Amino acid sequence: MNPYYFASIALILIGFYAVLAKRNVIKMLVGLSIMETGVNLLLISVGYVSGKSAPILSEGITPDKAVDPIPQALVLTAIVIGVATTALALSVVINLYEKYKTLNVEEIRRLRG
Amino acid sequence: MNQYASLLIALPLFSAFFIPILKRISKNAVMPFLAFVTLIQTGIAALVFKEVYTTGKPIIVMAGGFRPPVGINLYIGHFAALFVLVIAVASFLMAIFSIKAVSVEPKDKYAMLFLLLMLGATGMISTGDIFNLFVFMEITAISAYALTAYNKTGEASEAALKYVVLGGVGSSFFLVGIALIYGSLGTLNMAHIAQLAGLINPTAAKVGLALLIFGLAVEAEQFPLNAWAPDAYQEAPHPVTAMFSAFVVKASLYAIGRILYILSAAEGWSSILRLLIILGTLTVILGEMSALRQTNVKRMFAYSSIAQVGLIAIGLALGTANGVSASVFHMFNHAIVKALMFLTVGYVAVELGGAEMDKFEGLGKRMPVTAFAITIGAISIIGVPLFNIFWSKIQLILAALNAQYTWVVALILGASLVEATYYIRLIHTIWFKGEGEKVKENSVLALVILLLVALIIVIGIYPEPFWNVMQKAGNDIFNVAQYVKNVPLMGVNP
Repeated sequence: MNPYYFASIALILIGFYAVLAKRNVIKMLVGLSIMETGVNLLLISVGYVSGKSAPILSEGITPDKAVDPIPQALVLTAIVIGVATTALALSVVINLYEKYKTLNVEEIRRLRG
Repeated sequence: MNQYASLLIALPLFSAFFIPILKRISKNAVMPFLAFVTLIQTGIAALVFKEVYTTGKPIIVMAGGFRPPVGINLYIGHFAALFVLVIAVASFLMAIFSIKAVSVEPKDKYAMLFLLLMLGATGMISTGDIFNLFVFMEITAISAYALTAYNKTGEASEAALKYVVLGGVGSSFFLVGIALIYGSLGTLNMAHIAQLAGLINPTAAKVGLALLIFGLAVEAEQFPLNAWAPDAYQEAPHPVTAMFSAFVVKASLYAIGRILYILSAAEGWSSILRLLIILGTLTVILGEMSALRQTNVKRMFAYSSIAQVGLIAIGLALGTANGVSASVFHMFNHAIVKALMFLTVGYVAVELGGAEMDKFEGLGKRMPVTAFAITIGAISIIGVPLFNIFWSKIQLILAALNAQYTWVVALILGASLVEATYYIRLIHTIWFKGEGEKVKENSVLALVILLLVALIIVIGIYPEPFWNVMQKAGNDIFNVAQYVKNVPLMGVNP
């Protein structure tokens, strides 16, 4: 199996595990970020063609000698979205800590039913 | 060409960026500006709607003039034209409501996020590109996270945190699904995917579709991923709750339907339909059961909304043209009724300070117009004849019978019975319990409320013209061959 696929799916699963199993909210968000990194890596490896160079047309590099440029545009967008989500989540966590004085998800439970 | 339809995306975006400048000029102008922009958006949406339904042809907007599948295209067909109008009208009504209901600062940021939420939902419905769908979904989701946390109480942050974590996981799944489909077909354009769907690797199609549906299920509030919804509905500002229920969910459901049907030629497709039916059924059962034991009325409506969304998902997954049309009809009716319900509950919560059941005692004497509207809405959701949801439930039942899913009929009827229990309990509390002083009702809001009530009754009495529109809109999702033919694909072959 292609090692890039293996590594990226492993990263996704590690991140997913952290989201599911960790009690600390910050650790859950770290898990979420790891998951996003894994997804981005997977997207990039989908477009990789063995032995070709970066898709910037310069001297000696013609379109048939470059890897697929589309996944790179997708990943660029996805990275920005991931950072925005993380920033928003962290600001929510700051407010949560001020109000609840804890970051344990088992104690953050005023909304139920 | 009819490129003015791109204003549907450009206007909210431009206005959202204009708000920080406007705030420096005059702080009081922000909320009226919001109402004004949504009014213009409604005008454009109405023009688009008229054009699409008179010519019978979709409006295709090509970004930068590149033809698909190279460029991104917007596809405003019968469905998109209808729901863009619903989104714009709902946003306009909620912008009016926001002037009264939102008093927490900073209002300028509220207005910006409000416009971005509207923009995201409009984009999700009109886009013709699967990655563009992801981007618009994230615009919607991130503004929804921020709006959920807007009240800055501990509970609001808790609700927003649940939403962010689930949404983040969902969007990662969605992106993996895109990677699988792109890896197998090498295209991101929906029409092109539909054209090539027969060639896709069956495993990639099945896993990719399942991941895409799981990713969208967070926003669409389907069973395993909807735990955020009741909390977010309860804690978000009241107009935002109404927007979540009226169109954010619908946009995601539409996206599920669209992605499902463009891959209908792929092998193993029917197993994905069964997956969605199971998810929808569990959503209905759990939503109704949880609604039954709520003491907070806003939370009760949230669970009721989840259950209705489950019914819509079942309709989409029946795999027949009638099922899709029926669920589009249910989406439309549900958008009207739930906008009305959350508007009225929010109004009661603003006036009387909270949405707990005991605040509703004697509401019939204290706020007669609002109480009347809640009653009409509740009766309509239960599915009493001469109100709009009766007709869409009937259509869903007929479609289920045609598709040989007899147990779905029992599910719909059972769900209606449970709905009747808790809504009649609420109506009883409103009219026959408690006393109170009369509260003066805001005349603009009363007008908005009565307008929505009138719409419910008009559709209830004359369902036929609306049903014709819904059939066209449903066909837009179901008839993939026509969809592919409508998009001017450049001659790119596999």
